[in-house]
Amino acid sequence: MAFLELTNVRKVFPNAQTPAVEDFNLNVNAGEFVSFLGPSGCGKTTTLRMIAGFETATSGSIVMDGRDITPIRPNQRNIGMVFQSYALFPNMNVADNIGFGLKVGGKSKPEIKERVGEMLALIKLEELGNRYPYQLSGGQQQRVALARAIAIRPQLLLLDEPLSALDAKIRLSLRNEIRSIQRQLGITTVYVTHDQEEALSLSDRVVVMNRGLIEQVGPPFEIYNFPTTEFVASFVGTLNLLKVKVIDPATGAIQVDGQTFFTGRPLVNHAAGETAQIALRPGIVQSRQHGARR
Amino acid sequence: MRKVAWVAWIIYIFGILYFVLPLFGTFIFSLQKSRGVLSLSAYQSAFADPKFLETFLFSNVMAVCTIIVSLLLVVPTAYWVQLRVPSWRPAVEFVTLLPFVIPAIVLVFGLIKTFGRPVTIFGVPVFPALTTSALSTDFLLVMAYVVLSLPYMYRAVDNGLRAMDVRVLTEAAQSLGAGWGTILWRIIIPNLRSALLSGALLTFAIVVGELTIATFLARPAFGPYLALLGNHKAYEPAALTIISFALTWLAMGLIDLVTRGSKRGPLTGAH
Repeated sequence: MAFLELTNVRKVFPNAQTPAVEDFNLNVNAGEFVSFLGPSGCGKTTTLRMIAGFETATSGSIVMDGRDITPIRPNQRNIGMVFQSYALFPNMNVADNIGFGLKVGGKSKPEIKERVGEMLALIKLEELGNRYPYQLSGGQQQRVALARAIAIRPQLLLLDEPLSALDAKIRLSLRNEIRSIQRQLGITTVYVTHDQEEALSLSDRVVVMNRGLIEQVGPPFEIYNFPTTEFVASFVGTLNLLKVKVIDPATGAIQVDGQTFFTGRPLVNHAAGETAQIALRPGIVQSRQHGARR
Repeated sequence: MRKVAWVAWIIYIFGILYFVLPLFGTFIFSLQKSRGVLSLSAYQSAFADPKFLETFLFSNVMAVCTIIVSLLLVVPTAYWVQLRVPSWRPAVEFVTLLPFVIPAIVLVFGLIKTFGRPVTIFGVPVFPALTTSALSTDFLLVMAYVVLSLPYMYRAVDNGLRAMDVRVLTEAAQSLGAGWGTILWRIIIPNLRSALLSGALLTFAIVVGELTIATFLARPAFGPYLALLGNHKAYEPAALTIISFALTWLAMGLIDLVTRGSKRGPLTGAH
């Protein structure tokens, strides 16, 4: 059984014409890293906020670890969350920020101190426990926010565009750090981003969303190479869309401008003589002297 | 560039003179009680009156009570409006500005008319007249002061809340297991410190000098005492004005010290 199950989740905001999220079905396995990828307004953040409990689903159920969490308040869910704007408490230093959830949870002082030390070591900021958030760089603040979310040993970690406010170089290094920490702890993670590179490089599986609907769910390789919808094909990577005539679905033969090509795999759902569309990644095109067969 | 700096300096100096000259004049005047020499005898005679300390203390107690009630009312309200019902903000702001539109005299007569007799709802008595005992009248007085201080207190708190990302901070705290009380007490209020202090200071200044409501509710407050003194004495009111100014400045200095002395960093948002 999956660790996190979203079933028929639907969200309609008051006064909204169309639902923000609809027909959302997804099972996330324990320890899995899943990304929600899509343009802004596609419903990915809304879905994440419903898992966190900050929004209530209009209908559908969200089950975590076999327990329906829809009626549970956000502060009872034991879900760690990292925000785009870091959201560190400005009145507390780094150590107090990281220890906040433990303190609220009634842990003893030595226990908090030990865990905070562990967390600081994990994010490699051992020396900065006494600093205040405004004394840190953006990348450091986000690492503290990550440590704060993990410190409470949450069952699930949610990250809402955590790298969007950072500059390109930090983004890359923190991305790798997030992935390695996630692997190290084996924590089930849902990651929201509009950056396809982030989604493809980090995730075990990517959920591509558009206009409140899931377009495709799959491992990054599949999403990139075998998009099932035109939206996924055009949103992920660059490509050329060509109108083709299907010659033989069984062998994958197609015709463009009178030239016959082979797609390399059978074309399901297409009949011979039908007009179809193929998406061609520029990087895959090679020119050869004789009998180009691809 | 140079020219602009000059103009700015002239305006600045003019502004300072505009504020300082009357105060300076009052100060000099307060020293002239004894003919021909500058002396502190006006201050001595002002302090010698036991009514001075009595009314001053009374107004201070009222001010502290007002600040407490006002904070309890305004902080959760402004927080909730900002977090959950931002569309209500114009309406709430309008309500908090009403004391600017409704004169204090109207407010106090409304209070006396409403609470000067037993309050009933559909003929059922709810509570007796509030103006019959000193304590219940003081309660009425504090409530009136809360209304008077509303524009300042609400604005100060609202500005403070806008300077931080209330929603994200709240959600971050919630995801870490914090309930509403913890969020308000450990996150929101500590980050509102300077806003709360300035709101409290403004409230204090308004209440200690307030005349109309205290007069008509017949309570021994500092404002009516000053007015009474001004009716039959010349130098002592000037001395008392200087003293209350000095106290206000002392309070401001203390606030500055408290905010600057802490090593907690800037009181801005999370960005």
